[in-house]
Parts: sequence; C-alpha cells; structure tokens
Amino acid sequence: MKKFLKYMSPFAPDQSGACSVFYELGGLIVICDAGGCAGNICGFDEPRWFEKKSAVFSAGLRDMDAIMGRDDKLIEKLSLAHSQLGGNFALIVSTPVPAIIATDLKSLERMGEKKLGIPCIAIDTTGTNYYDKGEEKAWYRLFERFAKESFEKKDGKIGIIGATPMETGYKNSSSLRNQLESIGLHNFVIYSMGSTIDDIQRASECEKNIVISLAGLKAAKYLKDKFNIPYEIAFPFIPEDIIKKASDYKDKKILIIRSQFAGNELRKQIGNGKNITCATWFMQDNDYANDGDVKLNGEDDLYELIKNEEFDLIIADSDALSLIKDAGFKGDFIDYPEFAVSGRIFD
Amino acid sequence: MTNAFYQTAKEITDKGYENLSTELVSNKHLIYSSPATLSFNSPGAKGYGVKRAGLAVPESVMLLVSPSCCGRNTSLFKSSPEYKSRFFFQLLDDTDIVTGRHLMKISDACGEILESLEKRPSAIMICITCVDALLGTDMERICRKVTDKYSIPCVACYMYALTREKRLSPMAYVRTSVYSLLEKQKRESKDMNIMGFFSPLNTNCEIYDLLESAGIVNIRELARCEKFDDYKDLSKANFNLVLNPESRHAAQDMQKRLNIPFIEMLRLYQPDKIHNQYRLLGDALGKKLDDSEYFEETKKTIAEFKNKYGKLKFAVGEILNGDAIEIALMLVKEGFHVECVFATIGELNYRFLKTLAALSPETKIYSNLSPTMLNYEKDDIDCFIGSDCLYYFSDKPGIEWCDEVEPFGYCGVIDLFNALDKVLR
Repeated sequence: MKKFLKYMSPFAPDQSGACSVFYELGGLIVICDAGGCAGNICGFDEPRWFEKKSAVFSAGLRDMDAIMGRDDKLIEKLSLAHSQLGGNFALIVSTPVPAIIATDLKSLERMGEKKLGIPCIAIDTTGTNYYDKGEEKAWYRLFERFAKESFEKKDGKIGIIGATPMETGYKNSSSLRNQLESIGLHNFVIYSMGSTIDDIQRASECEKNIVISLAGLKAAKYLKDKFNIPYEIAFPFIPEDIIKKASDYKDKKILIIRSQFAGNELRKQIGNGKNITCATWFMQDNDYANDGDVKLNGEDDLYELIKNEEFDLIIADSDALSLIKDAGFKGDFIDYPEFAVSGRIFD
Repeated sequence: MTNAFYQTAKEITDKGYENLSTELVSNKHLIYSSPATLSFNSPGAKGYGVKRAGLAVPESVMLLVSPSCCGRNTSLFKSSPEYKSRFFFQLLDDTDIVTGRHLMKISDACGEILESLEKRPSAIMICITCVDALLGTDMERICRKVTDKYSIPCVACYMYALTREKRLSPMAYVRTSVYSLLEKQKRESKDMNIMGFFSPLNTNCEIYDLLESAGIVNIRELARCEKFDDYKDLSKANFNLVLNPESRHAAQDMQKRLNIPFIEMLRLYQPDKIHNQYRLLGDALGKKLDDSEYFEETKKTIAEFKNKYGKLKFAVGEILNGDAIEIALMLVKEGFHVECVFATIGELNYRFLKTLAALSPETKIYSNLSPTMLNYEKDDIDCFIGSDCLYYFSDKPGIEWCDEVEPFGYCGVIDLFNALDKVLR
C-alpha cells in the first residue's frame, strides 16, 4: 500500500527544511502552527536548537484562529515579538493548518512588511512533502529576496549552496569548513551555516558556486542568471570511513540509498561503475541520474527493488535495515546515517 | 531588546486572574520555542503525548493517519522494545486532504497491519491530527467500520493541537479513549483503580498501604496492566481514584458507562495539604486513614535537609512531576527561599499563587512561552527543580524531577528532598 509505513518513521518534512535554511540568519522565524509542528521542528529536526539560540516561535494557532482566518492576530503577535526582540527579517513557515484553510501567504508577507518595516518572507510548505522540497523553496526565496545587488567579484571566492544539518549530517559549520579545507578550498562561504544575511546579500561576489544538494540547485540557477555565477555539483562531506569501507566492494553490485547528490558523490568515490545503483527517498533530477537509479516512493518500492535485484552491498541509513532484511537481503550493509531519515548526526 | 518578562507573585495577584499580563497568557503572543518549552509544543517529545498515551492499552497498535510532519518525532521512541512493531503510519498527501480519499484507505491499512503482525493485537488505535480536525472527519464511524470488518476493537485518538486549551484537551481526550474499551462487569467491593498517569506511581508510595488499611484488596493502574486481560479487570473497580484533573473526563465517562464512581485528589507537595487529602479520602471511604507516621517522616526529612543546607535559594520550573507554583509554595512554607518560578498560570494554580504572594511576594514568575525569554539572564539561585530549569541553569545543581515513575503523596516529597540531597552532597 502506497504511503503506508510499517518499518520506518516519517521523514523530515518540508517545514523543517525551510526552517533549517534560515535558522542561523538572525530573523524572527514563525512556524504557523498550533505548536506540534514547532515542537517537531525544533525538538527533532534542528540539532542546532539545543546549542545555538534562534528566534524560532510557534504562532500558537487555536481552532477559532483557523476557522476565522485571523491573519491580523498573527501579524499583531509578530509585531509584538519584533518590538521586543528586533530581527532583520521575518520568516513565516506554513504547515498543514494554513495549507488547509488556504491562508493567503502573499498577503501575510505584505501585511508583515507594512507592520514591521522589515523584509517578510512566507514559505508555502504543507507538511505533506519532505525536507528537500522545503529547503528548495527556502534557498530560492532567500537569494531572490536578499541577493539583489551586484558586488565586485572577489578572486577565488566560492559559495557553497545547499548545506544544512539535515542535508550534510553535520550541525557545526566548523566540521564542514574542515572538510572543505582538506580538499584545498580556503576562500569560501557556506551559506546558512556559519554565515550571515550579509553573506547572502553579497552572493554576487562569488566567482563560483558549489551546489551540494538538489534543493540548492534552483537557487544556484537563479544566481547564474542574475549574476552570471557558474556552478558545479559536488558533495564533499561524506565521512572517510564510509568511502573506505565501501571501496572494498567496488566491483560488487552495490545499492546506495541517500539524497541524490550525496549518493552520486559516493558512487564516484567508489569508482563510478555501472554496478552501483543510487536510490533516494527524496527528490531526484533525471539530469543527474544514471540509468537504473531509483526514486523510492515508499517502503514497497524499496522492498521490490531488493527482492528483484541481488545486491552484494547496501549503503543506507540503518533505520531501513529491518525492511531490507525482510525483503530477503543477505549481503553486507554499511550504515550511512541520513539525518532526514533517522535524525542521527555525525558531530 | 526587551529583557525577559516577569512579574512578582504580588504584582500578579494584585491585578487578579482576570487581568493577567499579555506575556503570561499563551494565546496572546507567539510561543517561544526553546528546549524549556518542548513539553508545551510537543508533549510527546519527552514523556507522554497523545501517540504514546494511546498505546497505554496493552497489546494494542497505533495507526497514525496524518501528513508526515505529525509523526516525525515518533522515531524517538519507536525503536524502544515496548513500542517495537506497534506504530504504523498512513501518510497523507495534498490530494488526500483535498478529496478526503485517505479515509477510504484506513480500513485497508488496518488490514495490512493485521496481516503483517505475527500476533493479533488487542485493539487498533487510530490517531488523527489537526488536518482531520479541520476536515471534520467522523473517525468514530471509520473505527466502527474497521471493527465490523476485522472483528477487532478500534478506537480514535485525537491529536488536535488546535484544541489544546479547550476544556477537553487532547491529553484529556486520549485518557478517555484508552479506557473506552472497558466493558461493564460485576464490580468488586474491594477493588479500585488509580487513574491519572500513563506510568505507575512509585511502588513505595504510602497510598497503597493506606488504601489496603481501608480494606482495599486490588489496586489497579492502567500502566501496570501488561496484558489485555489485566486491562479488562479495570472495570471490576468499585471506585476510581483520580490523581490528575486531565483524567476527570475519563472517570466521568466510566461513571456513566460502567457505573463506577470516582474520587478526586491532587498531586501536592505541601505535607499539611497531603494530610488533609488523606483525611478526606478516609471520610469518603468511611475509614480513618492513619497517615501520622508518614507525615512525621516527611517533616523530619525536610527538617534534616534544611539543617544540612540552610535556606537555599530555589528556581522551580514547570516541566516536572507536579505543579511549579505549588512546589514553590511548599518550599516557601518549609522555610526556603524561591527566587523564581517558570510557570503557566491557570485557574487551578492561581489559588496557590495567591498564598505564595502572601508569603513570598517578591518571587518572580516567568512564562517559558514568552518570546522575551530569548533574552533571559540567569537569576541568582543555589539550586533548581525542573527540566526547564536545567536549560536555564545548567551550571547549577538541581534535579529535573520528571522521571517516568510518578511521585505522589508523602513519598513524593521525601523522594524530592532525597534527590536534592544527592545532587547537593
């Protein structure tokens, strides 16, 4: 049965992805929910939450707010919080409740900007999609709204687009910086991790962007069109020990289950052979997929894939292991945690 | 930037309950999301939320019918042995929500659950969320259909965060749901149930001895029922003892359906009030309950603690097994100083606040939920009680006091001071 989970828990939703992109940028973030979504986002999907304070709030919607569509009340609450705390922008993240009552998010943006006098962005997440959809919308809106001015190019400066704890599995930007430096990069900015809204505004200074997730691709294309910044695809954040272990199987039949760009990078590191299939629970772009790569739409898809193909090795988050075993898999398994699946992190 | 908002106990009670400041009323401002508010925003992230509570029925399974976001944090406890193979998810997409077609698939999903399990569950709990609240779904009807088709009890659990401040909150409703499978049977005069929590009371609690001294032979609690047959015995009770107001509706429902009357008590930490409650309980049972030994032991424990550590300055939080303001009041009455309390003021604890204001008017009352708590700067304290306080005062000694074994009565007070003694030693 489609969309029925027997083995696994639901993956990180789009509202968590949208929040993750804006978390460190110094704005007021309002989850437009009754409380439960904010609890899930902060308490589970945002590993920085326990260590790094951010102005994340729940709108605290109640049944009559939803029934009556009291947008003005939300803006009043937002205005009160802004008068108390400041903030250089406001972000409103939609959830199932505003999606169902068809809240006019454009109107909320206008009302917010007028009342607060700061940029106000509303992201039309619904809670029915996964984190990458929310990140894609957030990355695009972030650059579209703030990267408007052309600055002089800085020699060798590189922008990293798409890095969030959910995508990389690292919550500290220092972990990512170390890995980028280890491959010879020094003059770079990792957008939204260890950077500020000023870095976004100065995005046109970069000579090149590296896109590390499919969710960041639309924003990279926007920056290419707007400022003629070329981009390339890479994912330089795969733990060494996973590459090392996987390389022992380079001539075997391998299945990698990971978000698309990370999976492609791991395939490349192992040897890029046709014996390696990449599958993902999340978005897949055919332009970056090999023949035979698979978009998994549910547990049944993975079950069938494993039953029909005889893989020698599967590399995936171990949350899927009981399903994999029940599908009859007898080969070897390498656990490669994927935060959006299990909530496990590397640092 | 505004400093964290607080008012003293006296300032609040001078204005009266009807005139609480905006920052102390949760529906008048945005809700700050910090680790100190996690229990408010997501009760299931720590302790019991609707999903976990729904599985209090022994050997039952749960089908969560919702967008993926609502079931996300289930990963936190899904892998623990007691919940293994008990959670299932039917995820909704946009088309499901627009057309309501997901309702037609619930029966098939239940069929698939039954097919996948080696042992037939006792019941299927179907948990629905804000989405179906807004769609006006008649889940009772769908549950009846599942029962008819598969001959298995099926119960709806409502995880409606939108209604959390209603008289019948989601946590009150789910308490009614988990007792709803009980069927009428002959009541036994020496049997009773303790209601209120999803985990058992501390086994050492004096309430068991006191009830036995009053002639009660079988004291049952939902959380101690390991098998569905144990659960069914709950309807043999001659009366229910309700220790948490959130169970009142469930007790009323049992009174109506099963003819089981109920008595209410509160979880309190003031020894004199505990004594009063036991006296009243004894009156209701027609037997005098002699709690003098426990009372004396409690007073002795507190006195020894005070002799050892002096007049400590406390912070008391609201994420704990008890009411923050009532615990603060107990500490003040026992001669300690309470510098600050983090609490949500409601009708019930406002009564305690009035007494606190008379005895310790300068005690500061903060709301964890106020956006201004982003700027909270630590008060000068010696010790804290409460999981939320651990977030604010991580460099100070203190206890979270929110273990899953539920403290109650004199035993709860003694354990509280022993736990404090342990961290201060």
